[in-house]
Amino acid sequence: MLIRFLQNNREASVAAIILILFVLLGLVDTSYLSFDTVVSIYNNSLILVVIAIGSTLVMATRGLDVSIGSIMGLSAAIAGILMNGGYGIGLSVAVALFVGLLCGLFNGFMVAVLRVPAIVATLGTLGLFRGLVHLSTGGSWIEGLPEGFKGLSHAVFLGLSPFAWIVLILLIGTHCWLRYTAFGRSLFAVGDNREGARLLGIRVRSVQLTAYAINGILAAFAGIIFAAQIGFIPNTAGNAMEMRAIASSVLGGVSLLGGTGTVVGAGLGAYFMTSIDSVLVMLRLDAFWNDMIAGAILLLVLVADGKIREAMGASLRYHKYRKFLEPESSSSSAKTPEIKELSEVRK
Amino acid sequence: MTEIKPSGQRETLIKADNVWKFFGSVSVLKGVDLTLESGQIHALLGGNGAGKSTLMKIIAGLHPVDRGNLYVCGEEANHLTPVLSRQLGIHLVPQEPMLFPNLSVEENVLMHMSGNRTELRSRLLTLIKEVGSNLDLHTPAGQLEVADQQMVEILRGLIRRARILILDEPTSALTPREVSRLFERMRALSEQGVGIFFISHKLGEIREIAEVVSILRDGRVVLAGPPKSFSDSEIVRAMTQVAGKSALDASDAPAPYKGGREILRVENLCGEGFARVSFALHEGEVLGLGGVVGSGRTELAETLYGIRRAARGRVSLDERDVTHTTPIQSLDQGIVYLPEDRQSSGLFVDAPLSWNSSALVLYREPSWLPLKAEEERFQQYVQSLGIVCASSSQSVRTLSGGNQQKILLAKCLAAKPKVLILDEPTRGVDVAVRADIYRLIDELAAEGVAILLISSDHEEVQRLSHRVLVMDHGYPGGELRGSEITVDAIAQLSFGVTAEEGASSC
Amino acid sequence: MNGLRFLKRWETVLAVLLVGEILVFGAINPAFLRPSTLLFSTSDFVHVGIVALALTLVIITGGIDLSIGSVMGLAAITLGLLWVNGVNIWIACIGALGVGCLTGILNSVAIHIAKVNPLVITLGSSFLFSGAALVLSGLGGASGYEGISGFDASFVEMANLEVLGLPFPLVIFFVATVVFMLLLHRTRFGRYIYLIGQNQRAAKYAGVPQFRTLTIAYALTGIMAALSGLVLASYFGSARSDFGSAALMPAITAVVLGGSSIYGGSGTILGTALAVLLVGYFQTGLQIIGVSSHVSNALSGGLLVLVVALRSLTEMGRAQYLQWRVLKSVGQAAR
Repeated sequence: MLIRFLQNNREASVAAIILILFVLLGLVDTSYLSFDTVVSIYNNSLILVVIAIGSTLVMATRGLDVSIGSIMGLSAAIAGILMNGGYGIGLSVAVALFVGLLCGLFNGFMVAVLRVPAIVATLGTLGLFRGLVHLSTGGSWIEGLPEGFKGLSHAVFLGLSPFAWIVLILLIGTHCWLRYTAFGRSLFAVGDNREGARLLGIRVRSVQLTAYAINGILAAFAGIIFAAQIGFIPNTAGNAMEMRAIASSVLGGVSLLGGTGTVVGAGLGAYFMTSIDSVLVMLRLDAFWNDMIAGAILLLVLVADGKIREAMGASLRYHKYRKFLEPESSSSSAKTPEIKELSEVRK
Repeated sequence: MTEIKPSGQRETLIKADNVWKFFGSVSVLKGVDLTLESGQIHALLGGNGAGKSTLMKIIAGLHPVDRGNLYVCGEEANHLTPVLSRQLGIHLVPQEPMLFPNLSVEENVLMHMSGNRTELRSRLLTLIKEVGSNLDLHTPAGQLEVADQQMVEILRGLIRRARILILDEPTSALTPREVSRLFERMRALSEQGVGIFFISHKLGEIREIAEVVSILRDGRVVLAGPPKSFSDSEIVRAMTQVAGKSALDASDAPAPYKGGREILRVENLCGEGFARVSFALHEGEVLGLGGVVGSGRTELAETLYGIRRAARGRVSLDERDVTHTTPIQSLDQGIVYLPEDRQSSGLFVDAPLSWNSSALVLYREPSWLPLKAEEERFQQYVQSLGIVCASSSQSVRTLSGGNQQKILLAKCLAAKPKVLILDEPTRGVDVAVRADIYRLIDELAAEGVAILLISSDHEEVQRLSHRVLVMDHGYPGGELRGSEITVDAIAQLSFGVTAEEGASSC
Repeated sequence: MNGLRFLKRWETVLAVLLVGEILVFGAINPAFLRPSTLLFSTSDFVHVGIVALALTLVIITGGIDLSIGSVMGLAAITLGLLWVNGVNIWIACIGALGVGCLTGILNSVAIHIAKVNPLVITLGSSFLFSGAALVLSGLGGASGYEGISGFDASFVEMANLEVLGLPFPLVIFFVATVVFMLLLHRTRFGRYIYLIGQNQRAAKYAGVPQFRTLTIAYALTGIMAALSGLVLASYFGSARSDFGSAALMPAITAVVLGGSSIYGGSGTILGTALAVLLVGYFQTGLQIIGVSSHVSNALSGGLLVLVVALRSLTEMGRAQYLQWRVLKSVGQAAR
């Protein structure tokens, strides 16, 4: 029963894993169990949460985007250059988001219109966008961002920064959008059965294009948060984030085969991935354990998930054929003479 | 939204004028003329590959018209897209359910419909009651059984207030009770002025519901008019008639069975989809396995071959127990299975022809592949089966359906079968190839191969089998031999129970 | 027979592009055409090629292995740890290859048990392996992200060794190319690889031993990734855990550019090998004519985008053309 519940509510299983992590932490030192810890981990997870939301949208349509790290870097660099060039924060951020939109549209065009496999297309743009980062910055770091911009990542209310509030609203907003609007559901329909969606008159290509475009904007937003949080922009900003984003979404129950998953699950997955970091620090373990633990847990979850699915499939199959598979003591003995008769005839 | 006209004044909803459609170099539709009026239930009948489903997909905007004209409500509509087609009020309920397996029943039905959710949901609930189904709105569609999936597809069509509704074999998985409920709904819709295309293989259903029937054969409409103006035999002849000599000549009978050693013995076998099946198969004998689609025959064949596991019972080959084997072990013992779906489970359609012909014997080859021997083997089958192809390195996809089926047969024959299980060996092939395959089956039997023939084409079973076992809902329904084997007898045994049920519920 | 058919092959296109590219760079900077430049510049990218060859097998089966980069690092660190603990360098090499083999088997078993997309499983295992590499180097006292160096001189010289006038890593690449070519195109195992990738269901009906075949493919990929890590360790004279992280995407790029379908079922070893050279020389060529390495990376990405987009467009165009031709020929008959 519990297994079934966890299977159907992947968010709950991730939440449970996070809880276990906190309990573990509490066993070491109860003082860590505080609202502050929860909030500080949340603040550290903002970037990952944002791109995990984007990945969820794309993966719901049975797509994949491995270029998000590069889009993050590019948008952050553009925003930094504009801000240091004396343009206002609002304008710079808007332009950076627009650049993200363009990158996303380009990916979407390759996948939806040219029908290039998603991983191949975005693999190409991963290199392309990263190169644009170097071109735009001339290869040097961008430093000395305006204080007003960095201030956006400082706590203002309940320990949360303006960015943290925006991300929270974004998370809830996207969740409702995906769950309760026709367009949100059509994202899942396209990922679940592309031909079926086409038959119902859903504009499959526009849906795919939209998913990649929004993903681009979200990646750009993540880049901006990154810049504000660390205060400068290295050329490697966002490197390898795509893998973490996909891992977070998968952990949170989003399937790469499309059609399932929620952004809340992906957000929890991202929160979990971040919490490992913080927990390791608090447990006074070396940070280099992080990836190994994250990888091991991801694999365990996937394998357990596969096993549960297999068991459910088997039981479903058994029920489907039950009337043939269950022994019927009376009838099977009654049927035996018939075989004898049949073979006698032949002889 | 949809304009609903009183049934008095009729309007032409669909007019197809000399419509052609090609897939690659194969013409599927060869100039179809057809009209659908508002309030009309128009039945389409035809064999596999006659072009019914293709025509319906064109109307639904899934394929464009290649030549000729299609008019929807008087407007030219040669370049329909699914989006446009939906806007014109056309809805297709496809033959194979095209559902979203991860989404709930409710979402599947209401997807991409505008309007108030709560109102739509209550309409859906009413509709489910009206068609007498007990679907749960929250079950993911992927967990439903096929019949329920088909019901979800039908609900999609019924709830959409379409002006033109296309039902492609909606009744194939439904119970007689559900069928009669569906017909009630269809009549109600047609009274509101909806035009309905109804594809079915069941003459009785067509006579019951349709106002007009069009019979397609080989991409053309060969007979059209009210169903009562034709007799059953007229309709069947129109469907199967061939230019020149008929491949299904009634006088053709299997080569006389000389009797042989018992080779395969199945005792009280139970598995997924069938139970208590017992029979013996002898060298040189063709045992027909008749019945309707879904009666457990394919499952039985797959269990014998080792794709599925048997729950109980025993299978022995030459006195050796082969109840639980893997496909490799079956092949090694000489049990070979020709799957019914050649595209998905039989052939590697993008691989070279010679790779396909040697796929089943690959495991016997040395690790270093003898490519020359492989080529020779392939050429040998090209000759003996009369396969039309340019070279052994072209892909299967480039061949016509009939030649693809011959490649599949070559693949099975290469394994040197003692027991050959043929599952719908002539599905989707033209008449000439069908005749070739019949001859081949006769020859194989004469050479002493034991053949288990699964076919839903009763005439085919009659033409080829020495003995017939009919499956009925997973259980052996009866055995026929010699002169007892007639199309009617097979049909009676395979529908035996259902016909009574159908009568009582109507 | 059909003497011109080879012109239609993707490998021919790649070979023409490769020659053209070398000529263009040579025209801009004749120094590029010197044999020593052409030969020894390969050392910068040949490690990508070594792993891409094996990855081709996995991709043809319809799978993918995202953990190769991590395995490269893990193998290098294994080598370093064994060496630091006094194991003979060549035995340590064998140990590292063994670890590579184990990672491949682990991937395959996990995919088999979980029955999910290999992409997800190897994504998870890439974290696991790179994490393990970090942990090992951390526990080995190489203070976290620092590398392990001070290898035996004979090992470090390997990368600069010349065999028949060719740099040793390039020789490894050529030998591996030939071996994998024979393996994929001439053996039963290679045939199984294609059959599984083309139609998994039909492969099951034909009794193809899927788990065994896939396990060998993933294990080979693990071994080749480890070998690639060793080549890098020899080239740099040190072992680092994040060695291979930059090699993953170029390796996939090479396989895809080489003509393998990411959905499985098609691809050749020769195509992958040519694509490795094409992308590798593209980058070195750009650097020789004075383009910064970062920009050349971008242009390689651009190259991939361009090529796949063009291929996709020509496919669509070809389908349209065929349809048109059929319509034209049948149309005359019909009217």
